[in-house]
Amino acid sequence: MILRSVVGLVYAFLLLPMVVVVLAAFNSGNYFTFPPQGFSLKWFANFFQRREFMQALWLSTELAGWTALASTVIGTAAAVVLVRGRFRGRDLLNAFVTSPLLLPQILTGVALLQFYTLLKMHASYGALLIGHIVVTTPYVIRTVTATLTHFDIALEEAAQSLGANPLRAFLEITLGVIKPGVVAGAIFAFAISFDNFTLSLFLTSAKLTPLPIELFAYLKYSFDPTAAAVSAFAIGVALVLVLGIARFMGLEEFTGF
Amino acid sequence: MTRGARLLLLGPYVLLLMVFFAAPLALMFAISLSRQSFGQLEWAFTAHHYVRFFTDAYYLSVLADTLWLGALTTAASLLLGYPLAYHLALTRSRWKPLLIVFILSPLLVGIVIRCYGWMILLADRGLINATLVQHGWITQPLPLMYNKFGVTLALVHVFLPFMVLSLTGVLKRIEPQLIEASQTLGASPRRAFFEVTLPLSLPGILAGSLLVFSLAISSFVVPILIGGFKVHVLPMVVYEQVLSVFDWPFGAANAFVLLVISVALIAVYIKVTERALRGIV
Repeated sequence: MILRSVVGLVYAFLLLPMVVVVLAAFNSGNYFTFPPQGFSLKWFANFFQRREFMQALWLSTELAGWTALASTVIGTAAAVVLVRGRFRGRDLLNAFVTSPLLLPQILTGVALLQFYTLLKMHASYGALLIGHIVVTTPYVIRTVTATLTHFDIALEEAAQSLGANPLRAFLEITLGVIKPGVVAGAIFAFAISFDNFTLSLFLTSAKLTPLPIELFAYLKYSFDPTAAAVSAFAIGVALVLVLGIARFMGLEEFTGF
Repeated sequence: MTRGARLLLLGPYVLLLMVFFAAPLALMFAISLSRQSFGQLEWAFTAHHYVRFFTDAYYLSVLADTLWLGALTTAASLLLGYPLAYHLALTRSRWKPLLIVFILSPLLVGIVIRCYGWMILLADRGLINATLVQHGWITQPLPLMYNKFGVTLALVHVFLPFMVLSLTGVLKRIEPQLIEASQTLGASPRRAFFEVTLPLSLPGILAGSLLVFSLAISSFVVPILIGGFKVHVLPMVVYEQVLSVFDWPFGAANAFVLLVISVALIAVYIKVTERALRGIV
């Protein structure tokens, strides 16, 4: 009983800031008070009418889309080798390919900023996209690896002995079976890129601002609930993506329990 | 799998990492050893910036504060996260998927948004203070933000999910028979917990703590937004030196100090977990 109340309180603590943001977004007042002053959609209207937010939203969506596509392709390919390949230095390679995930992103950000500036490709769309691909691919590798380790290689061998070439056997048999992990990885990569702040901060300019950077800039100077509407929108996107992962892969497998 | 196939499949990503991850980090190290005069970078081989960092009382106090905030965040996350993970590992409730969504969703909601939520709650005219003033319980707003209290609170919120996920994985793998056996032999549930469950979950405690500590000491969004530039931590110094002061060599040296600490922690983490590739954390 005590455990349950403690657990309930900690869940409340986890969800509280997000609940507050969503309530503030629908609240008509300039300051959020409890109880709320009244229902209003004007902050959302403001969000959708402001050019800079719309441009940022479009940039983030496009960037996350390309990031997810690229990291899913190269991440899935890499995971296949890392799970099946038997070669020297595999453990070291494993550690290397997942290191962008474990190394604090501020360090990757600073290093890339200096690197890009010296190469005169700073604050370009391509440079930002590559940065995002570097940090999201390890997540794809992990989700694909999780499903791939359960896969029975005999299935693929059977396909080959029935005349399929290795590529066809992989595409038609293996990819079909590991699809949940691949799709979940793609969704997760999209989410990570869409919400990424730390890396983007170092790789963007006034002309190239994804949504989290635009929101951060807005929050530095104003406190009005338009920021809450932007946030509530992003929370909605995150929820849809979590449900997508749950649908395709199952959350217990995804979290590695 | 042939050598050629391996190269074809793994090559693109490894090449990408070499060029856009390893090389930039190596460059950052080179920059930390170089000089800068009038905004112009001069390649050199000097330890000057490291000496400056480790002999200046201000930067040493920033380093100490960073590690202290990291330790506080880790301890609080463990304290709050353990009951959650314990419950999640054992529960057979049909609401379990929803509980996992609750734990995962903060991970997928951007860090700026989570900080903003805390700002709405903790600001001087925020929800908590406004409510307390309205009821006449206080006259002056409580200092909930722009200090170490607010920063730690928000850091715990941001990194708690990582602790819970690390702990749940380990707790779930403990055989229930072990606990039943200890109780059959006369141990109270309390004693069974402290003498069986807790020791067996130590790897999870260690892994979760290393992860949360490493993430907390490198966070700078929380100190900027919740600390309002009043709580100084190492990643913020890096951010300021690189993006405001434009002292690249010194900024790079600061970043490298942070990198050495992080890499040391990560190395232990990988050794402890030996699961560099399983699960998302």
